[in-house]
Amino acid sequence: MKFSYNWLCELVDGLAADPVKLGQLITMKTAECDGVETFAPWLARVAAAKVLSAEPIEGSHNRKAVVDAGRYGRRTVVCGAPNCRAGMVTAYVPPGTELGSMTIGKRVVDGVESDGMLASGYELGVNRDHSGILELAGDVFEPGPDAVIEIDNKSLTHRPDLWGHHGMAREAAAIAGAKLKEPARLSRIPAGAAPVKVEIEDYTLCPRYSALVFENVTVRPSPLWLQCRLEAVGLNSINNIVDVTNFVMAELAQPMHAFDADKLRGDTIFARPARSGERILALNGETYDLTPSNTVIADAGGPIAIAGVIGGGESAISEITTRIVLESANFMASNVRRTSSALKLRTDASMRFEKAQDPANTLRGLARAIELLEQVSPGIRLVGGLADAWRPKPAPQPITLPLEWLYRKLGRAVEKDEVRRILESIEFGVAEPEPGVFLVTVPSWRSTKDIAIKDDLVEEVGRMIGYGSITPRPPMVAATVPPTNEERRYHRRVRELMTDEGFTEVYNYSFVSDETAEKFGHADLVRVSNPIAVGQNLLRKSLIPGVWKNVLDNARHFDSFRLFEIGQEIHKRAEGLPEETAHLAAAVYAKAGDGREGLFELKRVAQCLASTIEVEAGEALAYEHPARTGRLKIGGETVGRLFEFHPSFVETGRAAVLDIDLGALERLLPRMQKYTQIRRLPASAFDLSVITELRRPVGWIERQLTTLGGVDLLAIEFLREYAGAPLAEGTKSVSFRLTVGAADRTLSSDEVGVIRARIIDGMRGWNYELRV
Amino acid sequence: MNPNDEVIAGARDRALERIAAAAVEADLEAVRVEVLGRKGLLAGVSKDFGKMAPEERARMGKLLNAVKQEVETALESRKAAFASAALAARLDSEWLDLTLPAPPPRRGSLHPVTLIQTEIEDLFISMGFTVLDGPEVETEEHNFDALNIPGDHPARDAQDTFWLTDGNLLRTHTSPVQVRGMRKLGPPLRMIAPGRVFRNEEVDASHEHTFYQLEGMMVDRDVSVAHLIFFMKTLLTSIFRREVTVRLRPGYFPFVEPGFELDIQCLICGGPGCPVCKQSGWVELLPCGLVNPNVLRMSGIDPEQWNGFAFGLGLTRLAMMRYAIDDIRLLLGGDLRFLNQF
Ligand SMILES: [Zn+2]
Repeated sequence: MKFSYNWLCELVDGLAADPVKLGQLITMKTAECDGVETFAPWLARVAAAKVLSAEPIEGSHNRKAVVDAGRYGRRTVVCGAPNCRAGMVTAYVPPGTELGSMTIGKRVVDGVESDGMLASGYELGVNRDHSGILELAGDVFEPGPDAVIEIDNKSLTHRPDLWGHHGMAREAAAIAGAKLKEPARLSRIPAGAAPVKVEIEDYTLCPRYSALVFENVTVRPSPLWLQCRLEAVGLNSINNIVDVTNFVMAELAQPMHAFDADKLRGDTIFARPARSGERILALNGETYDLTPSNTVIADAGGPIAIAGVIGGGESAISEITTRIVLESANFMASNVRRTSSALKLRTDASMRFEKAQDPANTLRGLARAIELLEQVSPGIRLVGGLADAWRPKPAPQPITLPLEWLYRKLGRAVEKDEVRRILESIEFGVAEPEPGVFLVTVPSWRSTKDIAIKDDLVEEVGRMIGYGSITPRPPMVAATVPPTNEERRYHRRVRELMTDEGFTEVYNYSFVSDETAEKFGHADLVRVSNPIAVGQNLLRKSLIPGVWKNVLDNARHFDSFRLFEIGQEIHKRAEGLPEETAHLAAAVYAKAGDGREGLFELKRVAQCLASTIEVEAGEALAYEHPARTGRLKIGGETVGRLFEFHPSFVETGRAAVLDIDLGALERLLPRMQKYTQIRRLPASAFDLSVITELRRPVGWIERQLTTLGGVDLLAIEFLREYAGAPLAEGTKSVSFRLTVGAADRTLSSDEVGVIRARIIDGMRGWNYELRV
Repeated sequence: MNPNDEVIAGARDRALERIAAAAVEADLEAVRVEVLGRKGLLAGVSKDFGKMAPEERARMGKLLNAVKQEVETALESRKAAFASAALAARLDSEWLDLTLPAPPPRRGSLHPVTLIQTEIEDLFISMGFTVLDGPEVETEEHNFDALNIPGDHPARDAQDTFWLTDGNLLRTHTSPVQVRGMRKLGPPLRMIAPGRVFRNEEVDASHEHTFYQLEGMMVDRDVSVAHLIFFMKTLLTSIFRREVTVRLRPGYFPFVEPGFELDIQCLICGGPGCPVCKQSGWVELLPCGLVNPNVLRMSGIDPEQWNGFAFGLGLTRLAMMRYAIDDIRLLLGGDLRFLNQF
């Protein structure tokens, strides 16, 4: 929202702060100032100039004009404007003036020395007309430079009053200790019967609708001062009537609309929900299909405006308009907002109404407009009195503000008189029914949504005393130990382990594309309904696609690397929120080598995370090397996978991947471990070699031996595997060292022999031959 | 004169001569066998002992022992010399050029956001705060309504939301964890909640649709603006490892009342203005405020009994400030050339 410094100054008596300082004060006390820009500083040098003569220059479309430029005296300039003629009064810019990005100079054009220039409104930045040089009505050039204070709209969300200059002027006056002026004189509202009737179907949707009718209207361009004022705050000048409505909106935050009275059907204006199937051609040239959730202003023939958003095109005023109905109404904030977002149509009016404007403001808007219209459309006459439909709302309850409570919230005491002065400076009413307790009345423009409870008053006082005046202080609280977040603590341990093992942490996006999901065989993913890009419309149910991309990207820069991510898998559930499970995904990539090292490195890492983890052969997924994949298990429960990427996924080099469900892992970790007594009795060891088929997993054989060993087996250690002569083709020999013993005594060699025989017989029973 | 005298003297001289001349350690063993061995030069002398008169036998025995002793000592000392020469040779042969480069370091690195998050978690844990988690996919109720942002509230504009087809959304801030925290733990309460958040925004060097925040909240009796400023100053002094000047100014967030924007005095220029602070001398860092009583009420806490403060820290932004990262896209880009630096 742009605020004109000149405008604010007109509304505040004795505002001393310069624009930059004012911007800073507003930032600290009211709302965030995004910056202060000078507006057309060159206007200070522009003078009205009467064209004395305008002679054509031979061989050129330019004219040589001699002008009487007031304080600059008589000057000769070359002018190319078609409307340059003797007798007109226009704007003269002297040499040496910096106009936008160019400097006006004295230079020879078409053989004539041009001493400055005559300028269009567009060139001067006072309006958008570049069809010719300015035509001034009088012999004075009124517009002057201004400064524009840009306030962040987000910081005005809760302040309907600050969507007009008068509201911001009230803040400035309070901050500066100056006096606020009231631009609207309600006494100008005429008495008498209204020439139009207003019917409001639902006062919730339209709490108030006020209107006046004018006749003998002349529609023409606005005077320059008005055009320039609107230009400064970023509004486009249309014509004198529309400009007045926009001026009032920018000043009082009251959006208004002028209808051509002769184009209205019937003598009643309705404010009602749109009927199904109704459409409206709006001022912007677009046609909108309406639904009953939209509120419209209608005449006997149908909608003439979308309430609080935009006027209709058919009833719009034009050059031939002579009678107008001037609407100044109030609409329900949430309804305007819903309509505006449904129609994707944000206007200056809807932005204001959706902040919950003050219904009392409609009359101020009309009163102000009467005086302005009289200025810009001489001869204009009011017809009859005010049409005003509204239901008085119960006045907001005054807020009880115990001062002790206020001080406790702020963390400092404030003089009672100071609290009163602050509240009164922003026009809150203050009474003190009992000592130390204020009863605060909230002005109507702050009570629509903004201020309702005493906590809201903490801000009003706090911002005005300045939060910098509060001394930071630690609270006095019980020294309780906060609950530990075991999950995060565990993730931290995993991260430390991974970095100690040489892995670098990556963060990947939560989004995947349909294409990627399909490639990885991931179905039934949670879907984004308004994705930012086509590739980001699904939520990942696995970290693997991200890690896969990391592998491919980094393989372009490194021959080998290790990386990991800890992130959430998001799984759709039948109802309620999706299930989110934290996973660890790690990859070891090597451009050279047969890939064994990476897989076994990751297996070791997995066993560092949980010593009880075992790998069990299993079915390969689409992206896994079919002969290099396994499930990670603790007890009987699967906690993850270990695999190499399928060569169609990683074509150059090999990438081993570990994917572990950290939630399951943490759950299955042994809790408080009990100490096992150190064995003091000697144990006996012997080696066994089992002959098996080539692809029989060593882990399986180890499990058989362990089962056969039973309680006597203290430890089993894999020694080596061997294939080749003299073993038969397709077989291998796997050797283990088995340590056996009893808890309470040393076994005799006969007893050891019995155990050994039992194991060998057992294996033979399974048809496995042993080499002893 | 006993002829053995001559044998002994001869054997001694020969032994000492050969010990001195030994080229390798094995030569010494040969000398020992030849002179002192059971069939060695001195063995014959002992055999003659029986034939000798007692006095002569005593003299001979003494002499023999002295010579044996002398030869043994010579052998031992020569042996020690060989050992020390061998050690010296080995040590010399093991010469290493320690100026050669070491193999590349194996230690991995943590993500910069993890680093800063861990630091802040530890700080708040030390001040009695618990660390809470919430899901990345949230309900509209947790993300907006329970934070005093109903469906038609204009404040929703400020948070471009990714909506899901099931009606849920990707959380736009970590604030819903406030709601979860209040409902789970009840008052009094001190919590922080770091995590990933999402905004439907186009990505460029300074905008991301995925970033990290850290929410903080305290609910207790009579929590004041003074307490909030205390925690914020403690936090920022710890993060930036120096005293920072902060200022609070009004900021509007529906879940706090009053609400603030907290700025820190620009750490680059210290106040006079520079490009980093856009010449203002201040850098906007975090929104905060006293918890709106409606928010407490909606989570079952009586605002007449309890109140609190809340703040939201941009972890991604802090990491970028700390490590002078000028392109936000690096953080989720997975490029090890970047990530290996931390
Ligand atoms: Zn700076």
